[in-house]
Amino acid sequence: MNRFIKDTKKYWKYTIYAAKSQLKTEVANSYLNWIWWILEPFCFMLIYAFVFGLMFHHKELYYNAYIFVGLAVWDFFNRCIKSSVRMVKRNKSIVSKVYLPKHTLIMSDMMVNGFKMLICFAIVVGMLVFFRVPVDAHILYVIPILITVVLFTFGCCCILLHLGVFIEDMSNVINIVLRLVFYLTGIFYNIRSFPEPYQSLILRGNPLALLITGLRDCVLYKSTPDMPWLGIWFLISLALSVFGIWNIYKNENTYVKVI
Amino acid sequence: MEEYSITVRDLKIRYKSVQAYSIKKSLLRLKGVDTEAFEAVRGISFDVKQGEILGITGKNGSGKSTLLRALANIFSADEGSIDLHGHSVSLLAIGVGFKNEMTGRENIMLSGMLLGFSEKEVRERMDEIIDFAGLGKFIDMPVRTYSSGMYSKLAFSITAILETDIMLIDEVLSVGDEKFKKKSYAKMKSLISQRNRTVVIVSHNLKTLEELCDRVMWMHEGKIVKIGEPKEVLQEYREFMK
Repeated sequence: MNRFIKDTKKYWKYTIYAAKSQLKTEVANSYLNWIWWILEPFCFMLIYAFVFGLMFHHKELYYNAYIFVGLAVWDFFNRCIKSSVRMVKRNKSIVSKVYLPKHTLIMSDMMVNGFKMLICFAIVVGMLVFFRVPVDAHILYVIPILITVVLFTFGCCCILLHLGVFIEDMSNVINIVLRLVFYLTGIFYNIRSFPEPYQSLILRGNPLALLITGLRDCVLYKSTPDMPWLGIWFLISLALSVFGIWNIYKNENTYVKVI
Repeated sequence: MEEYSITVRDLKIRYKSVQAYSIKKSLLRLKGVDTEAFEAVRGISFDVKQGEILGITGKNGSGKSTLLRALANIFSADEGSIDLHGHSVSLLAIGVGFKNEMTGRENIMLSGMLLGFSEKEVRERMDEIIDFAGLGKFIDMPVRTYSSGMYSKLAFSITAILETDIMLIDEVLSVGDEKFKKKSYAKMKSLISQRNRTVVIVSHNLKTLEELCDRVMWMHEGKIVKIGEPKEVLQEYREFMK
C-alpha cells in the first residue's frame, strides 16, 4: 500500500497532464468543441424525458432533473468501465516502452470522465434553480455518495483492467453486463415503484441504484439516503480497490508479455 | 572497489502460457494440454560497472531486446535477479505516449513526464529539446501535421536530452535527414561517453559497437556466448555469422 501512495504521488502530475491532454484532444477537431460535453447529456435527457415522461406518463417530481442526475453518474461509471477493459492494449505504445504503474492510466481516464460528470452536475444545479427546486442541508450527503461512486468505479476498473489483458473477449461480456445493470439502475424510472422484495433487493444489491437513488433523494427530495447500506458499499468498494491494486502490482509485469 | 551499476544473476525470462485467450478457447481447453514455455533468456549473469558502455549483439531472436526490457523494468524476471543499485534507468524509446492532436511542445511535456521526470525538470530542458529538434515553428503545431522525419526528430530529441543514470539503447537510432543523422549520432556519442553514465546498447551494427563500447556481449539463444574486449568478441562473432 505504501508503494501505491508513493507511485500515485510520483505520477500524479502526469496523470493530470494526460487527462488534460485527453480532454483537449477530444475537442480539437469538432466545431462545437467542449459544448458537446453539455449538449450530449442534455440531448439524452430530452430523449428520455420525451419517451418516458410524455409517452409513458412518468410522474416523478422534477422528472428532467431526475433523469439528469442518474445519467450523469451512469455515464461516468459506464465510460470508465468500458475503457478500463481495453486500457492496457490501447496504451500498448506506452506500457511496452516505459514502466508506468498501470493504475495511473485508470486514474487519468477517471479524471477525464469525472470532469464531464462535473459539467453535468453544473447543469443539474442550473436546473435546480430553473425549476425552483427547494434544497436544504440534505444536499451535503452528495459528498459521501460521490466519494463512494468514485471509489466503487476505481475498484471495478482495476479488476477489469487485469481481466481485460488476459481475456480477449472481455469487452463483449462487459457490454452485456453493463446493459443489464443499466436497466436495473433506474435511470429513467423509479425503482421504488417495483414490488417488494425486488425493490429492496435491487436497491441494496446494486450499488449504482443505491447511489443514484440516494443522490436524487438528497438533492431533489430533501430526504436522507440509505446511510447504513451506503456505508456497507463504501467498505466493499474500498476492499475492491485494495484488492484491485494489489492484483495489478502482482501481475503488471506480465501484461507486456501478453499484449 | 569498483562500483557496479547493473548486476544480473541467473536471469531467466519466459514467455509461457501467459497468452491472451478468449472465453470460448479457455472453456474448450479446460481439460488442459498446452502451456509450453518459451525461454527467451536462459540464465545469464553479468555485471556492468558504473560509466561502462556495454554492447550486446547476436542474431535475431537471441533474447537481446527481452533482456533490455527486463533491465528497464518493463518485464519481471521469472528467475534470478536484476539489481540496478538504485540508479534511474530509461529505455531510449521513440515517441512514447505521443498524442497526435497536441502540439510538439505539449508532447515533450507528456513524454518527459512519462519517462519519470518532474514537470519542473522537463520545463527546464524544454528549450534545449526544442533547439535540438530544430523544427522551427512546427513545434507549436499539432504533431499530426508533422512529416515522419520530423516526428522521429522530436522523439529522439526528447530522449537524448532528458538523461538518466543508465541508458538502454535498442539499435543506435538513425533518424531524419543526413544532417540530423550526423547530429544525432554525434549527440549519441557524447551522451554515451559521458563519464558517469552507464550505457547498454543493443545493435547489429558491429562497426558502431566497436567504436563506442568498452565491452561487448555476444548472445545466442538466450545465453551468453562470450563477453569481453570488443575486438576479440566481434572478431569471433563475425566468423560465426559467415
